[in-house]
Amino acid sequence: MGPVTAADIALDIRDLRKAFGGVRAVDGCTLAFPRGKISGLIGPNGSGKTTTFNLLTGVAMPDSGQIFYKGEDLAGMKPYQVFRRGITRTFQVTRVFREMTVLENMLCVTALNVSERVARARAYELIDFVSLTRLRGEYAGRLSYGQQKLLEFARALMTDPEVILLDEPAAGVNRTLLQDLLAHIHGLQERGKTIVIVEHDMNVIMNHCARIFVMDYGVKIAEGPPAEIQKDERVIEAYFGRRRG
Amino acid sequence: MEKSDVRSLYLLAAFLVCAYSLPFLIGIQFGTVRADEQWFAYLATVVFAGILQGGVYAMFAVGLTLIFGVMRIINAAHGEMVMMGAYLTWVAFFYLGVDPLLALVFTLPIAFLLGVALQKVLLNAVVGQPELTALLVTFGLGLTMIYVAELIFTTDFRTIPYAPQTVQVTRTIAVGQNKLISFVMAVSISAAVYLFLKFSRLGKAIRATALNAEVAMVCGINVQRIYLVTTGIAVALAVAGGALVSIQFGFNPETGVVYTLQAFAIVILGGRGHYVGALIGGLMLAVLENLVSLMIPNGTAAVELAAYGLMIFVLLIRPGGLMGVKEA
Amino acid sequence: MATHEHVRNVLLLAALAVVLAVLPPALSVYLKSFVMFTMMYVVLALSWNIISGFTGYTSFGHVAFYGIGAYTCAVLVADHGWHWISTLVVAAALAVVVAVAIGYPVLRLKGPYFAIAMLGTAEGTRVVVTVWDSLTHGGLGISFPSVENSLETYYAMLVVMLMTILVAYIVGHSRFGIRLNAIREDEGAAEVLGINATAYKLAAFALSAMFPAVAGGIQAYKVLYIDPPSVFFVQITIAMALMSMLGGKGTVIGPVVGAVLLYSAQELTWVNFPTAHLIAYGLFIIVIARFMPRGLIGFAIDRGWVRKGMVH
Repeated sequence: MGPVTAADIALDIRDLRKAFGGVRAVDGCTLAFPRGKISGLIGPNGSGKTTTFNLLTGVAMPDSGQIFYKGEDLAGMKPYQVFRRGITRTFQVTRVFREMTVLENMLCVTALNVSERVARARAYELIDFVSLTRLRGEYAGRLSYGQQKLLEFARALMTDPEVILLDEPAAGVNRTLLQDLLAHIHGLQERGKTIVIVEHDMNVIMNHCARIFVMDYGVKIAEGPPAEIQKDERVIEAYFGRRRG
Repeated sequence: MEKSDVRSLYLLAAFLVCAYSLPFLIGIQFGTVRADEQWFAYLATVVFAGILQGGVYAMFAVGLTLIFGVMRIINAAHGEMVMMGAYLTWVAFFYLGVDPLLALVFTLPIAFLLGVALQKVLLNAVVGQPELTALLVTFGLGLTMIYVAELIFTTDFRTIPYAPQTVQVTRTIAVGQNKLISFVMAVSISAAVYLFLKFSRLGKAIRATALNAEVAMVCGINVQRIYLVTTGIAVALAVAGGALVSIQFGFNPETGVVYTLQAFAIVILGGRGHYVGALIGGLMLAVLENLVSLMIPNGTAAVELAAYGLMIFVLLIRPGGLMGVKEA
Repeated sequence: MATHEHVRNVLLLAALAVVLAVLPPALSVYLKSFVMFTMMYVVLALSWNIISGFTGYTSFGHVAFYGIGAYTCAVLVADHGWHWISTLVVAAALAVVVAVAIGYPVLRLKGPYFAIAMLGTAEGTRVVVTVWDSLTHGGLGISFPSVENSLETYYAMLVVMLMTILVAYIVGHSRFGIRLNAIREDEGAAEVLGINATAYKLAAFALSAMFPAVAGGIQAYKVLYIDPPSVFFVQITIAMALMSMLGGKGTVIGPVVGAVLLYSAQELTWVNFPTAHLIAYGLFIIVIARFMPRGLIGFAIDRGWVRKGMVH
């Protein structure tokens, strides 16, 4: 894979910073996620991956820096504003709406200008897509953890977003379900979606991502295709050289 | 400290300056502010009385903050417990002829045991549940207490005539003996509780549980027992507060709501779960209330607004209060 | 929900309307007023339920809007000679304005802090109404010119109740309502999924403030005398909350059932035990919050009598 040009970039993050008290969680991070590809964002615990996702989706306010998407700076926008521009995410620990049914979980995430009938059709289709058809009328809180992950994933797709950020999709999901989930992710990529995965399971990252970004201490320390990253001295050092809890 | 943290502290300071100058401005409007010597004597007296009253407020607010700190339970029945303390003292005084302060010798142990029972029967079940469940449960408890009190004592206002003489503190300041006695008692009790929390084994265990219940458990602290003791102490503080309030002001079953809101305002101003914050908050609220009652004609109703206003604005400007508790 | 279910439910509501409309001639004065107050509590409980049940922002101060409505009606009728029906529109509008003004800052508070702030707001409103005696006559209260009005107020309350039920039903079964539920379940996640929580919460709050104000106005006209303690009575908020919780908050039928059951029980007991029913209120809240947070409807759902969720 050659160098990435500006036109191929979906999300262009420049010099992003965020400190919590004295801790600089993200400390001048510059990342460019390629359009229509699956990217992996990895790094040791506490390296700033989830904070980066939070900054991208408006959940946290960056102290400084820019996030360009389609020529617009997303930094400082409210979460719902970011969402309406076509960027969606899932959470490390699932956040389904527990006392709402599976169908209701899906229906609350419809674009404002879509009619109820269209929204319903889309919800049914996606519920089938993640094989939760039989559980449509069940409370989301009563689903197994893996099923909740699938629901959250399906819910994120309701508005047919351009960019999908997945925070540890494999955690707590059994092997069979994980294979399904990965197949779905590849299906999305083939339809031209941009996908970014934060994941600790290196098999998932190395086998499924086109490009990998490595963070440590809030900055990007390496970037490249899996084969390169696996050999990269800095990455190995970050993971094994001075590992921290 | 984060930038936003500093900013909200400045905002809070600005708000407090406004809150304290407001009674003066209204007073000027109504002509109750006169810059003569007699008025300044009033002012000094009122501020001094406010400080005395604040000591009592702070004491019962500490009970609220203690329960919150240790169990994350917002006790909406705290004011009713203060009210209960007032009635216990009243009964002891009128039916048994016991001196209100002497009565504390047996009302406090009773209150402690009631607190333990309350924890066992009701609150243990809501520890760790959503905060709202605990709030609803204690709110229901408070209502039950109000109406039980109405059934027994009716809604008539009661007062306890106790040490009504005034004491000349300085040349210009004279306050009721009962207020001075209350303050001294409140400070002694607060100091005792503070020393207990700071230095005794059990007190340290309580603080450890407040910091992190799970870690405390791993360190071999019997958290269940800590909960019992905490609620016991909190109810005892409320009842002691009630006793000290009862010898200064009239009360009826419904005044409990006012105490609850005062305690909330103090705790929120000082910072939830923060002991010293509660002391500062208590003084600040009481001084403000007394300023309002001095400056604003028909001030008794407006006094209540001081607590509500303080509480709501602090919640909005800086939910963590003066001591900056980190929480949304 | 399939269309035929909506049709069935609307027909049921129409049937209820017809029954209640032809009932008055058969009712004694006492029963007429009993039915009217039952309808009023249906309005109050359902309205409270929109912000506190659907959206999860438990209001301990909703009586503020009821009181504002009562005072709007009283001041305009007694001091300015308005026709009482026209004051209800003003009451509704004023309640919405106040709800937006208060809600914008206060709805930023979460869970118990919102509840406490609302408790303070209601008390604060009462104090302001008491102190502002040039407008409200302060603690003296306001008397209306005495007229026989039991039939007018009965029908007015009936109309308001039907409107409230209809609005609650539409909200409950729409995507608007589901989004309110999403805010209740996890506000942060709801925002990440494109829901402008601030706007939705304000809309829900304004809706839930409007009908209690109208009900308060009708009630004021019905009893012909109001003063601050009687219309800013904490117990009215408690009743709203308790009725919703008993029936099942977050549903449409729950608060209706809760209001009818609880108000009837209260009427039956209070004559003999004036304080006992208030004590029972307190104990009831404890029991429901502690043991059946989803109310009677939760019971029915667990047994499979009612389907889960609002939208099917």
